[in-house]
Amino acid sequence: MEDLSASSYTKGKMSNERPQNPLEKPISRRQLLRGALAGGVLLTGGGMLSACGGNDSGKVGTGSIRNGGTLRVGATGGGPSDSIDAHVLVSDPDIARAFQLYEPLAIRNTDYKLEMVVAESIEPEARPDVWTVRLKPDIIFHNGKRVTADDVLFSLQRIVDPDNPKTGAASISYIDIKRSKKLDERTVRVQLQIPNVNFPDDVGQYFNGIVPKDYDPKQPVGTGPFKFESFEPGQQSAFSKFPDYWREGQPHVDELKIIDFPDDTARVNALLGGQVEAITNLPTSQIASIKQTGQLRPLIANTGNWQPFTMRVDQAPFNDERVGQAMRLIVDRQQMIEQALVGYGRVANDLYSPYDICYAGDEFEQRQQDLEQARSLLRQAGQSDLRVQLITSPVYQGIVEAAQVFAEQAKGAGVTVNMRKVDTGTFYGNSYLNWTFAQDFWFTRTYLGQVSQGSMPDSPFNETHWEDPEFLKLIQEARAELNDDKRCELLQEAQRIEYERGGYIVWSFSDQIDAYSVEVAGFEPSKTGMPLGNYGFRRVGNVA
Amino acid sequence: MWRRLLVRRLALGLLTLWLVSLVVFAATLALPGDAATAILGKQATPERVQALREQLHLNEPVTTQYVNWIGGILTGDLGTSAATQQPVAELISTQIWNTVFLVVVAALIAIPVSLGLGVLAAVRRDRTVDHVISTAALVLASLPEFVVSIILILLFATTVLQVLPAVSMLGPGQPAWEVPQSVILPAAALVLMVSPYIIRMMRGSMVEVLESEYVTMARLKGLSERAVIWRHAFPNAVAPAIQVTALQLAWMTGGVVVVEFVFRYPGIGQALVEAVSTRDLPVVQAVTLLAAAVYVGLNLLADIVTTLITPKLRTAEQ
Repeated sequence: MEDLSASSYTKGKMSNERPQNPLEKPISRRQLLRGALAGGVLLTGGGMLSACGGNDSGKVGTGSIRNGGTLRVGATGGGPSDSIDAHVLVSDPDIARAFQLYEPLAIRNTDYKLEMVVAESIEPEARPDVWTVRLKPDIIFHNGKRVTADDVLFSLQRIVDPDNPKTGAASISYIDIKRSKKLDERTVRVQLQIPNVNFPDDVGQYFNGIVPKDYDPKQPVGTGPFKFESFEPGQQSAFSKFPDYWREGQPHVDELKIIDFPDDTARVNALLGGQVEAITNLPTSQIASIKQTGQLRPLIANTGNWQPFTMRVDQAPFNDERVGQAMRLIVDRQQMIEQALVGYGRVANDLYSPYDICYAGDEFEQRQQDLEQARSLLRQAGQSDLRVQLITSPVYQGIVEAAQVFAEQAKGAGVTVNMRKVDTGTFYGNSYLNWTFAQDFWFTRTYLGQVSQGSMPDSPFNETHWEDPEFLKLIQEARAELNDDKRCELLQEAQRIEYERGGYIVWSFSDQIDAYSVEVAGFEPSKTGMPLGNYGFRRVGNVA
Repeated sequence: MWRRLLVRRLALGLLTLWLVSLVVFAATLALPGDAATAILGKQATPERVQALREQLHLNEPVTTQYVNWIGGILTGDLGTSAATQQPVAELISTQIWNTVFLVVVAALIAIPVSLGLGVLAAVRRDRTVDHVISTAALVLASLPEFVVSIILILLFATTVLQVLPAVSMLGPGQPAWEVPQSVILPAAALVLMVSPYIIRMMRGSMVEVLESEYVTMARLKGLSERAVIWRHAFPNAVAPAIQVTALQLAWMTGGVVVVEFVFRYPGIGQALVEAVSTRDLPVVQAVTLLAAAVYVGLNLLADIVTTLITPKLRTAEQ
């Protein structure tokens, strides 16, 4: 069971928690006020709503950072099945750890630009089914060895292993690993089974970290800014600064601790009590009280994250595209954002991947609530008094609330939505990906990357059972098209098809909201949707 | 006689435990999904679910899983965790000791303090002290444990004062007693939860005993009030309080789940919550069985103590 690597093991000695000295702090009026607010929120379960969402993303001020010290971060979720394996990531703390220990060939940075990391370049040949990966010369693993072509091949092989497919297998299964080979110590020639211009993005994911060819998840080694110290699943993990890290001057702190918090209240309390310096996923109801303290700041990032309604287009009633269109016209998107996301989101137009250069959502007319039109479409489809069952589950913030809003809005068009709320175990159980009408959540992706995940017949997560031949042909052409303009033309057409008859209702791109103490600086909002600026703890340090 | 009673009660206790194991097993079967889908969550594609089921040995029929498990229990082996493939005993041993430590600390404070306050309230019946104690007990008894916990956090950890940690953050494998301040608030919450019942029961039975004829007699004999209360009244009044104390301690093994969750205290309560969410059947079974054993054991203990301190029961049929 190397992959779940659940035993608790420690390298070196663990220092005890830094003793706190809160007695020295006098209580200010402000702290009292913050308490009153936090208390109100905790006890009532959140009546305290911030006035509106917006652009006060917490870009860090000019405060200078000093090197050294410890950073303690509260991450969301986690449990005994947590893993520190570079390629098996399930819980949020797993992802947070991966960003510290490992690095992929390339990755989308906080501004959603593809940044070369372990690779110096990833270049296609004339036809994008063969790619040459050139490694940076000076990247060193935590064990002191240099990254070589063999390590890259080993890592890719380990991810797509058919007997034990890892997290990333679904996105790069088209790599033809047998025909890929090393050209020299720093160069790998990767052969694909199909041409795909999205290869750098697909391979450039945090769950596709490059590990040495003698990789052992019990002694995890990567090229990331922090080295492994200790790991206890469901509790906490500790890391130390990697002195030979390739980015000059990073990381700033000597010690990093990532602590699991399955409970929202405990996580916020730990931040309020000064036991951690930053937390992921601040509940929206707490934003106002956090701001009141003066000691804590929310980090609000506009992202390409989306939480769609999913309609199976191969089943009644959604196999009639007029029904799907009517459902999309039922949604008052702004109202749904206000009510389900407390205003922290931007209206979307039934298309995903807003940061893709070929995104066409702004080209088409913004779909708005039109109950008259919806009624008339349903009448034409012979579904005047439509009743549908909507499966919802608390798998992501705001999802169940959005379902409630939808059920309410649907009444206006004479549609009865029978909402069935199931627990996450049921949602991901045997009917997962087969619900007729349900919901899901996705993080920011490129358009082609997202299509591979969810909109192709062979996609692992094709929850709408979308199999449009015209669309399919455009995607296949676009995957082989290296010219951006020509590819965007094809993809614009593909998006028009999805906009007209696709199975998703994409109503919003939601904000990612985290929080941190003013005692630390360096967090920046990230468009990728990953918390705390892509878990960018290498950029963070104590304020001088 | 009471030895026979003890044997009978022990046998009944074991039967109860076996029934509990069956009920828990049936209940976990009714939970949708298994450890593989619960662990993979959104990534639960058929291929990965299949691969993980193989790794976790979830393809065996459930009856086989149950028989293997119950057979293991009888030979002292708690089985292997479905989610982590580690021996359950190893996985939860630190957490068990953390919980034992927490509950023992809470009990050592709660029992003498509540018995004392109960006696005090009875002796000062209908005076200010009695009113304050009785009202406070009534208010506390009506609050759910998470409210008490959150109030304690607001008062001592985040808002009013920041003198104690809001959550426990122990290092890997570090037992709770090495960081004693992490136990203070959870233990305080437990004390506040169990004390009201003991206080009220102690007060009630003490009031009754103080009105009895032998107490009047003792006073008429000219014994000091102290001797009257502690030598003559208390031993006769404490029996009902012991039963309530046992029930409250048994309640703690369940109430501790919520308290541990709020304070992120790494005990069996937290282990149970996590095991349910990952559908880790062997761990759920082990923890529930343990809680049930504590429940049965404490009730048994209370019966024995009550019998020993009540002459009428002790000498019956002799």
